[in-house]
Amino acid sequence: MRRTVLSGLALAGTALLAGAVPAFADASPTQMPRTQAATAVPSAAPSDAPGTGATPSPVPRTRTAAPTAVPSTGPGRGQVRVVPSGAPDTGVATASAGDSGNSGVLVGGGAAVLAGAGTAFLVVRRRRATGA
Amino acid sequence: MSPLSRRAVVGAAAAALVTGCGGPTAAGPAVTPGARRSAPRESAAPRPASRPSGAAPVRLLVPAIGVDTPVLRLGLAADGTVEVPPVTAHDRAGWYRYSPPPGQVGPSVILGHVTVGPYGDGVFRHLARLHRGDAVTARLADGRTAEFAVREVRTVAKADFPAGEVYGDVDRPELRLITCGGPRTGDGYLANVIVFAALRAAGP
Repeated sequence: MRRTVLSGLALAGTALLAGAVPAFADASPTQMPRTQAATAVPSAAPSDAPGTGATPSPVPRTRTAAPTAVPSTGPGRGQVRVVPSGAPDTGVATASAGDSGNSGVLVGGGAAVLAGAGTAFLVVRRRRATGA
Repeated sequence: MSPLSRRAVVGAAAAALVTGCGGPTAAGPAVTPGARRSAPRESAAPRPASRPSGAAPVRLLVPAIGVDTPVLRLGLAADGTVEVPPVTAHDRAGWYRYSPPPGQVGPSVILGHVTVGPYGDGVFRHLARLHRGDAVTARLADGRTAEFAVREVRTVAKADFPAGEVYGDVDRPELRLITCGGPRTGDGYLANVIVFAALRAAGP
């Protein structure tokens, strides 16, 4: 009876650890490209086909008082019709560091699961040997 | 412990190990894999004029650093920053469509990635290696070309991005090539590499 209870406890502990490892991995920082938000906007999506561009809708900061739909490079108006804010984000660093970090979590989690199972096994065997 | 119990413990441990290693590997950067290098759409017969007509750029060539890329059209991101090309394998350069087309008076702005995360080097990986006098050619949608000569290559901190010099008015056709550079910070870079170029020649 006691043996059955201890075996059940060992199984429960193992299952808990198994569930926790992926959760740790998911919570670790990922290498999501920072440009995703920019490319996810359908209206601003780049296209291969050059042609007449759509009217700019999001206008955060402009050189002129109000951007117009008609391109203008005449005197008194900015040659760049809408001046973007901030600096361009044109580099997503390689994800090798993040990947190796995730692998480390996985290996560590697997080792912890094995150690837990081994400890449970030894405890059961020792108690059985001592007749406790 | 009976052999049955022992087998149960060992079996559970092995199953947990397999489950834990298999789960998160499916999660990866969500990027659009669809973009590929494709032949630009150009008019069938370029007109024999000597000045670019204001057509959008469709291809960019920078022989000194081995760049020969189609050119996308870029706008603004939702946060007001300039949109950048998608992070994909074989990424492309992009022309900021609120800037003048190459060959027109004003600063034409073309952007490209220095690196594209898991895909490695970006199309502008070696932009900082350009030197004064190197040639940059923009091929336009009407078949004409605008050839520029590099005037200056500058690496500036993003916090000090010279918007006035990049986007400000000029009195001749110029070109700006922009990418990232400098020290890395996690998944990004601290600086921008900016190439300033001026029109050298235009032709069919």
